[in-house]
Amino acid sequence: MTTAHADRSETNEPFVIYPARRVITINPAFPYGEAVAVAGDRILGVGSTDELASWGEHRIDDRFAEHVIMPGFIEAHCHVMSGGLWNSTYVGYFDRRDPQGLLWPGCTSIDDVLERLAKAAADMTDDSQTLLAWGLDPIYFPGERLVARHLDTVTGDRPTLILHASGHLATINSALMDRCGIDETATSPGVARGGDGLPNGELHEPAGMMLAGEAFVDMMKANRSEQARWRYGNEARNAGHTLLTDLGTTQLWDPDQLSNWKKVTGDPTYPARVMVAMSNLFGATAEPAELAELCVQLKSEQTDKLRFGIVKLILDGSIQGFTARISWPHYYKPPPGHIGNGLWLTAPDQMADLVEPYHRAGLTVHCHCNGDEASEVFIDAVEQVLERHPRWDHRHTVQHCQLTTPDQYRRMAALGMCANIFSNHIYYWGDQHRDVTVGPERAARMDACGTALASGVSFSIHSDSPITPLGHLHTAWCAVNRLTASGQVLGPDERIGVPDALRAITIEAARQIKMDAEIGSIEAGKLADFAVLEDDPLTVDPMALRDIGVWGTVLGGVLQPAQTSDA
Amino acid sequence: MSIQRLPVTVVGGYLGAGKTTLVNHVLRSTEERIAVIVNDFGEISIDEDLIVAADSDKLTLANGCICCTLADGFAAALMQIRSAGTLPQRLLIEASGVADPTQIAAYGHTPGLRLDAVVVMADAEQVRRQANDRWVADTVRMQLAAADLLVVNKIDLLDDADKADDLCDWLAGLSAGAAVVRASRAAVPIDVLLGPGSASDAADTSERPAPAGVVARGWHTVEDLFESQTVVLDAPLPMPIIEALLADLPDGIARIKGLLQAVPPASTEDASEANAAEAAATACLVEAVGKRTSITPHATDLTQPPPQWAISLISLKGALAPDWLRSHLQPSC
Repeated sequence: MTTAHADRSETNEPFVIYPARRVITINPAFPYGEAVAVAGDRILGVGSTDELASWGEHRIDDRFAEHVIMPGFIEAHCHVMSGGLWNSTYVGYFDRRDPQGLLWPGCTSIDDVLERLAKAAADMTDDSQTLLAWGLDPIYFPGERLVARHLDTVTGDRPTLILHASGHLATINSALMDRCGIDETATSPGVARGGDGLPNGELHEPAGMMLAGEAFVDMMKANRSEQARWRYGNEARNAGHTLLTDLGTTQLWDPDQLSNWKKVTGDPTYPARVMVAMSNLFGATAEPAELAELCVQLKSEQTDKLRFGIVKLILDGSIQGFTARISWPHYYKPPPGHIGNGLWLTAPDQMADLVEPYHRAGLTVHCHCNGDEASEVFIDAVEQVLERHPRWDHRHTVQHCQLTTPDQYRRMAALGMCANIFSNHIYYWGDQHRDVTVGPERAARMDACGTALASGVSFSIHSDSPITPLGHLHTAWCAVNRLTASGQVLGPDERIGVPDALRAITIEAARQIKMDAEIGSIEAGKLADFAVLEDDPLTVDPMALRDIGVWGTVLGGVLQPAQTSDA
Repeated sequence: MSIQRLPVTVVGGYLGAGKTTLVNHVLRSTEERIAVIVNDFGEISIDEDLIVAADSDKLTLANGCICCTLADGFAAALMQIRSAGTLPQRLLIEASGVADPTQIAAYGHTPGLRLDAVVVMADAEQVRRQANDRWVADTVRMQLAAADLLVVNKIDLLDDADKADDLCDWLAGLSAGAAVVRASRAAVPIDVLLGPGSASDAADTSERPAPAGVVARGWHTVEDLFESQTVVLDAPLPMPIIEALLADLPDGIARIKGLLQAVPPASTEDASEANAAEAAATACLVEAVGKRTSITPHATDLTQPPPQWAISLISLKGALAPDWLRSHLQPSC
């Protein structure tokens, strides 16, 4: 006999009850449960096994009995190249797990980098193929600079290119320099030279890196492949994420890139939902008003796994690159020859006019603002646009929000804006921010989750992967502990508690991409998206938050076990 | 076959200064085949009559070349330009309104390319305010400082000539050595923007040089504000003379361009050899725009008759004596 309950599911299958060590719902009205029931792709309910069983015909699946179930983690700021870069060899300073779950230990010395490259070269069968690597961060090798001469000792005649972690530099070997005709006659300011006055293999900024020709173009193209999109999703699943926001890396007006996303997310086994932002970056062929229209149209065609409706804008550069716009007294110890402040990537006077068409189309604008001058300009623009076209609940979001000041947070609260705070910076570059970029006082109030919370601004936290590794347990750990890589606490007064950090990586992230009605908490009727954890984030030592194992995820009711295969 | 490097002109300047108007003006006023690279199409509106076809990633221009964006980087844009349409004779890069033109100019050092000039536009009415604006003062000043040729555009919007003079003096101070030229609706003479001989209605060149030595070919005015002088050379010049000319250029010179033969400084031994100088002469392209000067070897095409060796100069009207160039090319005078 068909019960009324079975109709609640789209299939006629009995619903499944997953008893767990604990279900953390992030629903303040019903914070914890013993089990969660899933009907089709939705949550039927949360509570005790008995309570859930009373809904009708069911099956009990005990596999998570020892696990803790949370809402699937939601990353509101990362990029699809996070998957594409794994086409190349990782030589970064920190340990990093690839989308297959393999742990790549950090290369903490120049010798480590060379050893990694030697092995990668030895594993290559085609002699003509270029060896591509990524993630090098010379900031951690203050003594000696890794240059072509070092690379030559392990790569021989094989052309080799390493993209730095910053994305602003590349180092190539002599074989690639020969192939590209880079020699002592080079006049480009992007070709760095050693003490002997000869090019040393380092190429600076786009004008320098483009001299590496096809090798560089190939590396960038890999970011648009189908494989890159799969790896992006797999990485999410391995870290407990069920939604990724590709914030401004896809050219949505390019039919190929759009259909590629549709194809990949249309595969029932693809392990994540993806919110793809509209962006005027990277060569939009249309005016903002047309892009807004396109985004509205895409939104009407969206699926459960491929979402639209947000827009990425960008105002300034990065703090560690000394290109973020920071108010007086600007940078603490900038490199010699620095012009004093960072760079605008969009003209401040243009900002309100740029926000307006998206705002009027009902979309949510997410603007990259690392420095406090950038956040001020964006807040001003939102205020102007709201005066022209009042609109409630826009949720326009300051992205990165690294140096946003308390007065700016108060304005954001008043204007209904959200913040997405780059908490991972505290760990990865916090020491450099304190000692070099902005100095101790301002470093202590960077990535100010505590101020956001006290000001009543809805905030999430993010990795900006591939800039730092994807993984919300680590990102939450950063916001909670504010520990730098050297083990010092940076700004203890901006630390937040674990419960607030858990909200930031779930419901608050869902809120700023306007998906909080569907995901972000475990409540009857929402999509069955879970992070399945080996331990309880609310009971472990907060310092151990990032060490909690991830079984995998449940995505729309489908089990997505993580892949792990330690080297 | 001579392989000449493709000249690159960078057009920079703050939002609203007239960069796009200038790009349209250039495309309209020269027969040179110019390919255009822009930051993104959102910021450019090339006049419709200059476009013959529009694709999602490029525009095909009436001159046969294309206009594309930096969407996938400069290497990709260059590949796009080389594979689509007619091979260009020049690249014009329009920087975004907040870009540092110096960084864009770095692309001009790509093998096969040659940075010709950084042209920076300033809005005569707005530039003072912009250069003191809370947010963009440093950006605007950085742009002005990057100029080889600083175009003070919309000069007609200023009330009187004194204001214009003050403004230009002040801008000259900020742009340290740039040639400062005034314009309305970005209508800068093409010869000033791209170098002498670039305009589609270029001055008559049928007049052949006859006399020996250094001869002034005359001078004429270029669209009211400028005048030019040309010297035709039928003998190589000593390199020190050319170097001295470029080393200390007076204000008021917008452009110098010359194709000539140069000989290295004669040593005492060589001096006795009458033919030594002739034998050692090499063809050089000599250029100056604002403070940017260059002397580059010029690959001559041996299958063609030798080019006319000559040097031209464009200056602000009244800035130089009519025979200034000739007098500065005289050996030991």
